[in-house]
Amino acid sequence: MGRNEIRIAGAGGQGVVTAGRILAEAAILSGSHATHSQVYGPQSRGGASRSDIVIATEPIAFPLADNIDLLFVLSSDAFAKYEPELGPDGTLIVDTRCAPESLNGDTPQYAVVDTARAVSGGQLVTGVVALGVLQAHTQCVDAEALRQAVAARVPVQHTKMNLEALDAGMGLVGGESS
Amino acid sequence: MSTAQLIQGNEACVKGALAAGCSFYGGYPITPSSEIAEQMVRLLPKRGGVFIQMEDEIASLASVIGASLAGSKAMTATSGPGFSLMQEHIGYATMTEVPCVIVNVMRGGPSTGLPTSPSQGDVMQARWGTHGDHPAIVLAPASVGEVFDLTVKAFNLSERFRTPVILLYDEIIGHTRESVVLPDSVDITNRTHPDVAPEDFWPKEAPPAGVPPMPGFGDGYRFHVTGLTHDHRGFPTNDGDIAEALITRLHQKIETNLDEISEVETYMLDDAEIAIFAYGIVGRSAREAVIRAREAGIKAGLIRPLTIWPFPTAEVAAAAQQVDTMIVAEMNLGQLIGEVERAAAGATEIVSYLRVDGEPITPTVLLDLMMPGTGASS
Repeated sequence: MGRNEIRIAGAGGQGVVTAGRILAEAAILSGSHATHSQVYGPQSRGGASRSDIVIATEPIAFPLADNIDLLFVLSSDAFAKYEPELGPDGTLIVDTRCAPESLNGDTPQYAVVDTARAVSGGQLVTGVVALGVLQAHTQCVDAEALRQAVAARVPVQHTKMNLEALDAGMGLVGGESS
Repeated sequence: MSTAQLIQGNEACVKGALAAGCSFYGGYPITPSSEIAEQMVRLLPKRGGVFIQMEDEIASLASVIGASLAGSKAMTATSGPGFSLMQEHIGYATMTEVPCVIVNVMRGGPSTGLPTSPSQGDVMQARWGTHGDHPAIVLAPASVGEVFDLTVKAFNLSERFRTPVILLYDEIIGHTRESVVLPDSVDITNRTHPDVAPEDFWPKEAPPAGVPPMPGFGDGYRFHVTGLTHDHRGFPTNDGDIAEALITRLHQKIETNLDEISEVETYMLDDAEIAIFAYGIVGRSAREAVIRAREAGIKAGLIRPLTIWPFPTAEVAAAAQQVDTMIVAEMNLGQLIGEVERAAAGATEIVSYLRVDGEPITPTVLLDLMMPGTGASS
């Protein structure tokens, strides 16, 4: 892995920005270099929100996403906004609720939003469930490092719930991890 | 050595300021610099320092100048609209020789412009925004780690030369989180205090390119501070010879010490046939583009000033002598390119790539410019 660009895109309130920070922090704990950028402005107040994470073995020259390797979409608005920007070599993962009927049948789909609701009763841990899926699906960071990063970033009273959300996300990925 | 941590550029600025000994922050929060104020208000009082939110940016820099005169290392942070309001006091601090650090996290302008988007539109304002003949030291970090280093340097240079130092970076550098390992300690420069008795002290007595020693108010030295042209006693005068000597000294204390101030990074430039001149976040795009161009067999290189004012004329002239083409990439409609052209003096073909839509200049577009068959490659 030279340089890996990951975009997690969803709706405001799903914890997409926090998830991106956690992923970058897990990458650092794994010994990689990492950057994290997010959208500021009206998008972060309810519309499509996103986190871009660059993970690399070498120091990162350009810290922003330039050619997304993996796009993880968690809302219909985010799908409409960011899917068209994904290049032909980019990998797409979508939440089952926001996958349009026209979507290529080979695109991995996971019930991230529903799982987050089952774990927390709401949407706040959606991003963390997505991190579990992402880790199990791609091994882009070490699972234990990700666990540590989640515990270090979320409020202490919510650690247990977030770790459950992470495990639930990992559990969504069956034997099909690539 | 500390461990790696993931922090924003604005956080690195705060950490650098505290490492340098900043004990006073006066400001008015504004996107995309607000994280600096937010962290300062939490951290400074715990360390015995003072944080004050002033009514506007004019008063903000006034409070910083006052704190510095009383002996504190003081700073403020803002963005374009606030930076405009600060111009009068930047000149005042230059003339009165009061050390202070002003951070401008650039966003799209003019006026309130694009508050959450990056820009490099204030490059010329940082040099010439305040009136009159004056020197300027402006530092332009390109990474979170460099924000830390150059914030420390900004304080050190301001203390060393008794002059305001401007730290100029854009929204992307301010908000992007990067993994950095910060040093446990940094080298600190403090202003020189007078070594004469108070009754023998003249506040502005200095050799032609020198920096006068500076007591703090309350140290027992009486001195007068004025933005009017003044003599060695610190009192106003209309004497032309004294005026010329003062203005010349203010410039020469900077220009005769460029080795302490100027910093330019070059990358893969030694055998380059095409070079990119870029600073701040665009310097990061350019570095990535150079890496990819080299992989494609193109002899590309980078010249990136960390000190944009005083402009590194000699370094740019040397690079221009060597390469066939120099691409100048800026997030404005052409500001430092004029300085590059002046320094290059026709020695190389200069091509510009300019962008003002609030989006970053990406490595891909710079690489495309360097590929054979495009306007920039020969």
